[in-house]
Amino acid sequence: MNSYQQFIRNFCIIAHIDHGKSTLADRIIENTGLVSQREMKEQFLDNMELERERGITIKLQTTRLVYKAKDGHEYIFNLIDTPGHVDFTYEVSRSLAACEGAVLIVDATQGVEAQTLANVYLALDEDLEILPVINKIDLASARPDEAKQEIEDIIGIDAHDAPLVSAKEGIGIEEVLEAIVARIPAPKGDADGRLKALIFDSYYDNYRGVVVYTRIFDGKIKKGDVIRLMNTRKKYEVTEVGVYAPGPVPTSELSAGEVGYICASIKQVADARVGDTITLDSEPAEEPLPGYKKVQPMVYCGIYPAGTEKYENVKDALEKLQVNDAAFHFEPETSTALGFGFRCGFLGLLHMEIIVERLEREFDLAIITTSPSVIYKVVMNDGREEMIQNPSNLPSPIEIHHIEEPIVKADIMIPKEYVGGIMEICQERRGKMIHMEYITETRVMLHYEMPLNEVIYDFFDALKSKTRGYGSLDYEFIRYEKSNLVKLDILLNKELVDAFSMIVHESKAYYRGRFVCEKLKEIIPMHQFEVPIQAAIGQKVIARETVKAYRKDVIAKCYGGDISRKKKLLEKQKEGKKRMRQFGTVEVPQEAFTAVLKYDDNK
Amino acid sequence: MTTINSGAASAAGRETAIHNDDMTAPRKPLGLYLHIPFCIRKCNYCDFLSFGGVQEEEQKAYFHALAREIRYYGKIYNNKYYVDTIFIGGGTPSLVEEGLIDWLMTAVRESFVVVEDAEISIESNPKTLTDRKLNAYMESGINRISIGVQSFDDGLLNDMGRVHNAEDFFKNYSVARECGFRNINIDLMFAIPGQTLKIWKDTLERAIGLAPEHISFYSLQLEEGTPFFSMFQEGSLKQVDDELDRAMYHTAVGMLSDAGYGHYEISNAAKAGFQCRHNLKYWSMDDSLGLGLGAHSFMDGTRASNVTDLEEYIRAGLAESSRAGREADDMSGSPFIQQRHRNTREDDISEYLFTGLRKIRGIYLPDFQRRFGVSLDTIHGRTLEKYLAGRLLEMQDGWLRFTEKGIDISNTVLAEFV
Repeated sequence: MNSYQQFIRNFCIIAHIDHGKSTLADRIIENTGLVSQREMKEQFLDNMELERERGITIKLQTTRLVYKAKDGHEYIFNLIDTPGHVDFTYEVSRSLAACEGAVLIVDATQGVEAQTLANVYLALDEDLEILPVINKIDLASARPDEAKQEIEDIIGIDAHDAPLVSAKEGIGIEEVLEAIVARIPAPKGDADGRLKALIFDSYYDNYRGVVVYTRIFDGKIKKGDVIRLMNTRKKYEVTEVGVYAPGPVPTSELSAGEVGYICASIKQVADARVGDTITLDSEPAEEPLPGYKKVQPMVYCGIYPAGTEKYENVKDALEKLQVNDAAFHFEPETSTALGFGFRCGFLGLLHMEIIVERLEREFDLAIITTSPSVIYKVVMNDGREEMIQNPSNLPSPIEIHHIEEPIVKADIMIPKEYVGGIMEICQERRGKMIHMEYITETRVMLHYEMPLNEVIYDFFDALKSKTRGYGSLDYEFIRYEKSNLVKLDILLNKELVDAFSMIVHESKAYYRGRFVCEKLKEIIPMHQFEVPIQAAIGQKVIARETVKAYRKDVIAKCYGGDISRKKKLLEKQKEGKKRMRQFGTVEVPQEAFTAVLKYDDNK
Repeated sequence: MTTINSGAASAAGRETAIHNDDMTAPRKPLGLYLHIPFCIRKCNYCDFLSFGGVQEEEQKAYFHALAREIRYYGKIYNNKYYVDTIFIGGGTPSLVEEGLIDWLMTAVRESFVVVEDAEISIESNPKTLTDRKLNAYMESGINRISIGVQSFDDGLLNDMGRVHNAEDFFKNYSVARECGFRNINIDLMFAIPGQTLKIWKDTLERAIGLAPEHISFYSLQLEEGTPFFSMFQEGSLKQVDDELDRAMYHTAVGMLSDAGYGHYEISNAAKAGFQCRHNLKYWSMDDSLGLGLGAHSFMDGTRASNVTDLEEYIRAGLAESSRAGREADDMSGSPFIQQRHRNTREDDISEYLFTGLRKIRGIYLPDFQRRFGVSLDTIHGRTLEKYLAGRLLEMQDGWLRFTEKGIDISNTVLAEFV
């Protein structure tokens, strides 16, 4: 080991959503004296407004800290944050690969959860030293001993001396810092060997192009080096290397064991893919680092400009997002109902929601999103295979031999009292139970195989709702499977609205058709005429509702010359109209497109 | 040629002429609205600015402030305007002792030129009217009384939280006639929860039987913040459905026109010559000055509204005295005003349409063109085309108006004009 390496600790924090990862990260940063309390924004690492609001981390942030330990030495801590959601498993695994250890936060009031476990498995796969920490011990409902016992029972690591912490109250932080020094191994690697550096994140900067976060495993990298990305095989000249502390600080070089950033005039993040290996073009490494995978979108939906929004504005915004998000794909498409728009691909439903919200908030766009869909494999009579992500593009049934849909392996962790209810919703969603295990006396892990289209529809909402928030889910694609699928169309005033079309399992078609019709009946305002809403498979109508014609919309009285209130009322009505989308003669509010997808507790 | 009330002009120390002495510009007509925000108690559906149970001392303080506001505007506007309509509304103006109303009328006449044939209305509630009050109103020069009976069904009146019954009204009505009121309005309401078409027809028949000059018929609206609204949200009150509401409306229009009442505004009908001139000013965007708590004005293209807090209004009246004699030629310095907005041309156009189309005869398109220098077709051609084709609007001899069906859903059309 090179001598400088013994004072480096590369680690990440693993936690379930809401278990306090960002708060603990904040306290660590504060306690190492890097950022004064005054400068601290609440939850430093979560720098997107949206992330702060949702209390989850989507985009990775990495920070280099200096800690003066009780042994008198100064240690460099590279805190590598990981995204906290099931959609980002691959990104998490690459961040973990950049570390030697992981701080595992377990909420003293809730214990271990499925998604924490998934990440723990990932960390164990990467051979990381796991340092358990029990958080939220200040709460009255805290059961730290049970939480420790759970860690030992479930994960099988020693937790008896796990620090007891309240990140919120700043209790036990120093203990955590000392444990990081004592228990997490220093990095190894040959600084004089051939360069092997792992890309574990990247983002686009307007001035410097793509900034790549990297962990150097062997060798050194400095400004002026010509690098090669071993999987994409592209070459670039390094323009800057440095560390984040937490703002970018250029350094002369990065050596084996260190974590930092590289700029090399890379145009978009898709060119610097997470998991790829950087080496020197002149003396390349023989083998890239293991684990590289090109991430593929799993969920697709259409995004269209709404109302008077311009197509170009939406396109610009999507391009900007794509530059920064290698997992996000889009291409133009046209809908008879919605006009010109885009088909967009996402890692999962949350990823989709985040992108949509960013378009609306950061870019201030008025957009309509269509029902999310997975990718179906359509096998034609002549043996040809087509991958279909837009239900409207489904070929005519006569040409189709059969359709296959993606199946995922779903691991669901729940308190045992909810087992019955959850098995029911899994069954309703065509889930096949593989096995069930008692993780502790009170917690159960259900292993299911389920069609992805059921998972993306409303499964997560249903799970949360049925377990009062205590259930957690992790899923992973396993295979395509032949299935009896049909295209369900929605007709408004007898006209097909392609944006509502969806592919569903035949056994679910009737239920879904009825549900969508009922929802639309609630949402579509009354018109001057009756509006029939129909759900159909081919020519066959399977459900129908009617929005009655309105009879009355008049201001009876404007009193004492006070027209301002009534004028406001009319203006509001006009605004409402602007947010409507016209389909033939029928006006549909934009909410309709998302409302038909929402899980309804009463159903 | 209109003659003017000599007392008013001499009190103001001016020539008794429609043209004032130092300016060549002719005086313009003006409507005055005086707001009396007191009631015995608030009705269950009411969201107007009024208060039940205000102490008499505070009421008097309010009238002092109101009189000051009248004088304040007299100084600004008397040489530019003559008053040809006055509307004392509320609340329940008939709640307070008649002397206070007379005091206001005196203040108006001392501050403004009030033409002799001015329409001067007061609103009243049957429970609060007495012979003495009715006689006193006559003597104050009030020539139109509006009685809010709403229904002749005592059960419904009770449900609505009205403080009177049908009997109270019939007594008041005949006394008003005996006192010499030749212009009486009756306010009626339909679509009251629990009201049937039969009850409504009966109410209309009895109203028509009395032969008042004017009948208003309002569809009850559920307004946020009212007891009815909370009852509706709790589910203890069921709203009349739209079909029945509209059946009631069209029944009223039919019965009234059969009885010789001309339907001239969405919710108003009158015998020939008895349309409410004051309210018509609102629908024609004529100048009007609203005085009193929360009152609204439209003067020279500016909309203004007064403070809505009773104490604040009373304090504003005190503040006004210190400004006595201050030169001003518009509303901008008024201590009573809370909000002012200078209408843009777009505001004017949308308000002209949205108020003008409340009139059953509609708006005269050449007038529109004269007023705004552009034809309505140029600005709203597509909307016009759409709704003319859909038979919600109709055009005849240059007049644009709602069809009967169009009235029912007029907001849909008007929302495209605002």
